[in-house]
Amino acid sequence: MKTTEVDPIAGLDAAARERFTRVADLLIPAAHGMPSAGEIVNEDRLQFVLRSRPDLLVPLQAALRPELGADVESRLAALATEPANLSALQLAIVAGYYTDRRVRELIGYPGQMAIEVKSWLVPPYLDEGLIDAVLARGPMWRDPATGRRAIVRDAPRTYAERFLETKQKTEGGRDGDARA
Amino acid sequence: MPNEPADVLIIGAGPSGAVVAKRLAEAGFKVVCLEQGGWLDRADYPGNKLDWELQARRQWATSPNIRGLAVDYPIVEDDTPVSPLMYNAVGGSSIIFAGAWPRALPSDFRVRSIDGVADDWPIDYFELLPYFYRTDRDFGISGLPGDPAYPPDDEDAPMPPLPIGSAGMKVARAHTKLGWHWWPEFNSINSTSYDGRRPCVQRSTCQSGCNEGAKASTDLTHWPKAIARGATLITDARVRRIETNPKGLATGATWLDADGKEHFEPAKVVVLAANAIGTPRLLLLSASPAHPDGLGNSSGLVGKRLMMHPFANVAGLFEEPLMSWQGQFGDLIESLEFYETDEKRGFVRGARWGLAPTGGPVNTALPSRAGEQIWGPEHHLHVRSHLGHGANWGLFAEDLPDEANRVTLSSTVADSSGVPAPEVHYTMADNARRMLDFHIERATESLVEAGAFKIDVDRLMRYSGWHLLGTARMGDDSAASVLDRWNRAHDVPNLYVVDGSCFVTSSGVNPTSTIVAIALRAADHMVESRFEQQVPA
Repeated sequence: MKTTEVDPIAGLDAAARERFTRVADLLIPAAHGMPSAGEIVNEDRLQFVLRSRPDLLVPLQAALRPELGADVESRLAALATEPANLSALQLAIVAGYYTDRRVRELIGYPGQMAIEVKSWLVPPYLDEGLIDAVLARGPMWRDPATGRRAIVRDAPRTYAERFLETKQKTEGGRDGDARA
Repeated sequence: MPNEPADVLIIGAGPSGAVVAKRLAEAGFKVVCLEQGGWLDRADYPGNKLDWELQARRQWATSPNIRGLAVDYPIVEDDTPVSPLMYNAVGGSSIIFAGAWPRALPSDFRVRSIDGVADDWPIDYFELLPYFYRTDRDFGISGLPGDPAYPPDDEDAPMPPLPIGSAGMKVARAHTKLGWHWWPEFNSINSTSYDGRRPCVQRSTCQSGCNEGAKASTDLTHWPKAIARGATLITDARVRRIETNPKGLATGATWLDADGKEHFEPAKVVVLAANAIGTPRLLLLSASPAHPDGLGNSSGLVGKRLMMHPFANVAGLFEEPLMSWQGQFGDLIESLEFYETDEKRGFVRGARWGLAPTGGPVNTALPSRAGEQIWGPEHHLHVRSHLGHGANWGLFAEDLPDEANRVTLSSTVADSSGVPAPEVHYTMADNARRMLDFHIERATESLVEAGAFKIDVDRLMRYSGWHLLGTARMGDDSAASVLDRWNRAHDVPNLYVVDGSCFVTSSGVNPTSTIVAIALRAADHMVESRFEQQVPA
């Protein structure tokens, strides 16, 4: 049996969608080489948003109701007292806009990418000596026995010394508790 | 006909419950766990999908009140500026936690002795150290050994550290100039393949579930092993109350399935692992003529001393692109420079700082946490200058215990099964306010030194109640604590609480590492004392 998917924007009539476009153009107009949100957030993009977030439809309908008049700025001013409706309207516009491929290319955002972690490389902060600078200041934990900064015999003052400790432990060469 | 009693019934399949289940199942105990959520499929997590930022604000919100899923319970939060955050599923809040894995510090267990405030713990850092090593191995921790903010370790983290990114490098250089502490963060996120799980791919969507399985959530790290050793995990099981017998021993739990049908699960020992909101809720729901104020509550402290780590966010904006939408959302680096008490600052105790990525374009374009919103032609300049140009210091302030901060039962709001919801009553203390104000100033200096040209501050973030602690504290005095030093209820000798409820003070660090070390210690004790354990006939 063929099933029919409900169009998520069927709940917004043509007049409401027109009002949506006008608000979108005011909030994110064409400028600085970028297209307007009214141009980008077409029916496809709005469907995408509402398929992901069907809960936005009701506050969107409220934010776009005709009773708030034709003037977009007056509509937004009125919605300042309806934060849930205003937030839904802003989110639908912004999410529709910034999930568009062309907009993402224009702002240089490729999406959340999978980037390989090269944990075998020596981290740059070790090469720059940034860890050595922390170790050179010595132990900074507070010894609960005294309430004062701890004193640790032979605490490593460079990462090379600390790395040697790990190597000795791995090879079974470390002795006892280093705490004073 | 009732089931054969479990040796141990665990309520909650999050981090602490999973640790106890795995340990006890490996020791041969018959373990049953009741979890109100279900199993999730990480292929469904939104982090690698185009609508991630949309779903993160609703279906994957960290607040159960925003998600509103049937498996969640509502939390009445009219009387708190901070909303408690959690997740209900196999894996619990480890599904959505960031994965930052600092330990509590030695001083955290002795704040009465060394700072004259709150209370000392009945246990200390060095007693927990072997458990930290074991849980680090079980969860899979990446980190650089040798942080001088902690005592020397006998065992290094099992994996090398994750990258700290361009933002982390900038701030690390700044702290070198300032002479301030910083260190690559310890995260429960794989930097290499580990224990059958893949390494992190830096997608930064950790709080919407990890698509790679690189973050240590206990649905991956613990439950498969516990189940392989015989543990039974019952999902969609909402516990309504813990039952007791005339001798005052727990006999099991009454629970409701997804269809509302009631069941009873008998047990010799009951372990609560339902977080510091859910656990006191259940103890209070389990009131009976023998326990009129709630189970285990002769001290009157069940639900009291709630601590949530008041949290401020300090965001720095840099001219150069940092690609700061990527990177582990655990943390890139941390600073404990101002963690310990210095009375000249006008408050006691301190805060941990964690430097985190900054989110994608939807997050950047919408009004900021600090309330800034830019529309019109300037919107495009705003997004171009902000997206990937930020570095955020998150500041976790130590929350001192206060009995007025508490969890109670609602008389008007209930969950989808009709069980009364918890009410949270919480006020941020003046000490914490002064602490956060001081740390905001220092974190601003840090980012300015790193080159930030603009700073945005959210002085107390509402949706920041990740760390739920203290509502069934441990202690040696049964009149002044709910649990003993082994996490066993003073009043009910076969009832344990192993989640963050047991905390005496909050420390100022992300608590999961410490919670699970304490839970493992409690489980070891259950194994060692199994032949002396009182159980119902």
